[in-house]
Amino acid sequence: MWLIALLIDGIVQGLQFSLLAVGLTLIFGLGGVLNLAHGQFAVIAGMVTALLLDQGLDPVPASAAGVLATGLFGFLVDRSLLLPAYRYSGETRLLLGLLLTLGLSFVIEGFLNYSVPYVALSLHLPWPSVRPLGIPVRTASIVVSLLAILALGALLLFLRRTPLGKAIRSIMQNEVGAALCGIDPARMRTLIFTLGALLAGLVGITQGLFASLGPEMGLELTVFALIVTTVGGVRSIHGTIAAGVLLGIVHAFASFYIGAYVTFIILLATAALTILWRPSGLLGYWT
Amino acid sequence: MGALLTATGITKYFGGLPALQDVSFDVLQGEIFGIIGPNGAGKSTLLHVISGVVVPTRGRVLLKGRDITGLKPHRICRLGVARVLQTPRPFPSLTALENVAVGAIFGRRDGGSQAWQHAADVLAFLGLQDRAAVAVGKLNLQEKKMIEVARALATGPELLLLDEVMGGLNPTEVEETMHLIRKIRDAYGVAIVWIEHVMRAIMGIAERVMVLNYGEVLALGSPAEVARDPRVVEAYLGKA
Amino acid sequence: MSTTGSWLRYATLPSVGLVLACLPLAILGSALYARLATQMLAYIAYTVAFNLIFGHTRQLFLCLGALAGASAYFSVILTRELGLSPWLTVLLGTALAAALGTLFSYISVRRGLGVIFLGIVTLAFSLMFENLLLGLRDLTRGETGIVTKGLGFGILGERWASYYVFLGLLLLALALYQALVSSKIGLALRALSDDELAAELAGINVVRYKVLAAGVGSALLGVVGACYAYYNGYVNPSIFSLVGVDVVVLVMLLFGGMGTLLGPVLGGAVFTVVNELVRPLGPLNLLVYGALLIVLFLAFREGLVVALRRATGLPLP
Repeated sequence: MWLIALLIDGIVQGLQFSLLAVGLTLIFGLGGVLNLAHGQFAVIAGMVTALLLDQGLDPVPASAAGVLATGLFGFLVDRSLLLPAYRYSGETRLLLGLLLTLGLSFVIEGFLNYSVPYVALSLHLPWPSVRPLGIPVRTASIVVSLLAILALGALLLFLRRTPLGKAIRSIMQNEVGAALCGIDPARMRTLIFTLGALLAGLVGITQGLFASLGPEMGLELTVFALIVTTVGGVRSIHGTIAAGVLLGIVHAFASFYIGAYVTFIILLATAALTILWRPSGLLGYWT
Repeated sequence: MGALLTATGITKYFGGLPALQDVSFDVLQGEIFGIIGPNGAGKSTLLHVISGVVVPTRGRVLLKGRDITGLKPHRICRLGVARVLQTPRPFPSLTALENVAVGAIFGRRDGGSQAWQHAADVLAFLGLQDRAAVAVGKLNLQEKKMIEVARALATGPELLLLDEVMGGLNPTEVEETMHLIRKIRDAYGVAIVWIEHVMRAIMGIAERVMVLNYGEVLALGSPAEVARDPRVVEAYLGKA
Repeated sequence: MSTTGSWLRYATLPSVGLVLACLPLAILGSALYARLATQMLAYIAYTVAFNLIFGHTRQLFLCLGALAGASAYFSVILTRELGLSPWLTVLLGTALAAALGTLFSYISVRRGLGVIFLGIVTLAFSLMFENLLLGLRDLTRGETGIVTKGLGFGILGERWASYYVFLGLLLLALALYQALVSSKIGLALRALSDDELAAELAGINVVRYKVLAAGVGSALLGVVGACYAYYNGYVNPSIFSLVGVDVVVLVMLLFGGMGTLLGPVLGGAVFTVVNELVRPLGPLNLLVYGALLIVLFLAFREGLVVALRRATGLPLP
């Protein structure tokens, strides 16, 4: 019984890792910017939602507004802060993107810690748990999984079925120039960055459902997303999604049996060794 | 005179596609050896293999009988093979003299205290002594190319690899560069392997010419022999 | 110009030494200022190390605090548990930091890791180190940390004596830096940071010089980190955290100017003052650092030294 509960927890947490990391992968693959403020995006959605709930708004519209606000924030970041990075190519762009988003993450974290230090998002469902097949499952786990699977499914459909999505995949995998696909690269970058921010925003909400989300959790979320992206392959969407679920399960079991510190060290070591052993990602071929 | 450089069976695949297939040739001491071929024939890849930037899939490169296949570029440079890149890439944060001194200090086996003098000598030989203290960013393209050549010569090579130095030059400049290449060979006694797709220039001064096509040797011999070869005429000259 | 240049080259380091040696006279024995001044010297030394690693060879180490901390904890634990002399264990800690930095650099150069991958690997190391400290509670006492007072490093217990110990360390580091960059090694570093392929083709062993720069820089991080542990009276994970060291050093180097002798000194001095000014803001100082990182990288990437060179016309080192 314990094992199944742990497994379910791991999968649910893993799906959220996937959601967060897949945005990171898309943004890096397409724009060459490794967004070190990605976890902070999730936190923004959570904080906006929590503040709207305090204002008496219902949870569903409040959550939707939180996610949309994050998407808008992502859009603005791409059109302002990152423009100087996009002006360069190669190593210079990578470095500039890395340091600008690192700076952004501190700005967001500093601002939230200052303005809403004691706010936390914790959403509660009317029925705390259900018992399908006699196994007690938290309703929150089911809702979070459904949201994550819906979002990932929609993303995959978009990437596979629409011409724009196909162009995005071919650019990411073969490094074909966007111009060859007849698409304006700047607009595609903005679209993907906004999409990544929306997905991160959704993770902010699901974290609030699954456990609770505070203003200080941004860096931790960013690091989890980085680990998942690295292990899954920085250019592989399927690899990233698979790695998220896999590492979520590892995380749940390892935290339970050997403790949080060792678990985190194992995950970090997996990411570091992946880079040294196979930089395209352990699950990189799954595309 | 014996062979300075011997390449046997050089083969290189890039992701399953052959860039070079079974290329064999040798270069004699003090010889000007031209390599021609259309774009994508594998000329630059061959220079990459000789200078150690690319490790061949199969085949051996010997320098005076010593196997240098797979050595790192800086080792090969110190053994006496200097490379001039197609687009000049002098170090922008150094002056002209410092650029050349890098070659003299790090590229020679006998660098030591003489290095700065060597660098100044080479710069003077190429007529750039007045530009010694200038940051290379302020030089024009032709001067940058000469800095690149000077840096290579300063490493004290026995073999100089030139990569399409004629690109973008007008007929007068082509004439001057041809003259310069002969002058370099005569003054420094180096052998020169020179790849180019400007045919006329290479036919004029190379003592032997090798024609590459789709990574394979199509013909090898004196310029006159090569120019008469029907396969060369068909594959290359015919279209030119 | 070249005579002014060589005059400045010889005069700069003694002038820096003299100014810093007189600093205690100016702040008249205040304990708070003594502490800030000593901290400043340690951070300037960290920045000199990062200048070698990142400023000259573009190796993005996001584990500066972790390397300094690895040396510090190694030294303190050996001294406390085995009763070894702190002089010896500081050397052992330094050797550990140097070995780790050399290893990271060697692997990344040989594997051809770009700036992103080296950044992720070293960031992962930082976080692993922090979690190791928190997890190995018996040895490290977790978040509380270890008291280092009375472990036998007497001179680092006295206020102004320790200031001059750190000043000595810093001046040694600056002298070593100047000797390195004005030798043929410096020429190699400048050439390879411009163009690695062209440098390799001109006979420069790119792997060796990048690894050398990272190794020397890491050793410097190690020795300063270990001495800081004894000076500070205790060690805990937050003293060597990413936000506490790496981000601060990055900002100091960017502001002062990468690849210069004076850059770390000026950047470190200015930001010690800035840090004191924003301290009352509490959590907002993280915001200030983030904003500074962004602004510096967007608008002031060449740094203070280059700006001063342009303003004064002097070839400042």
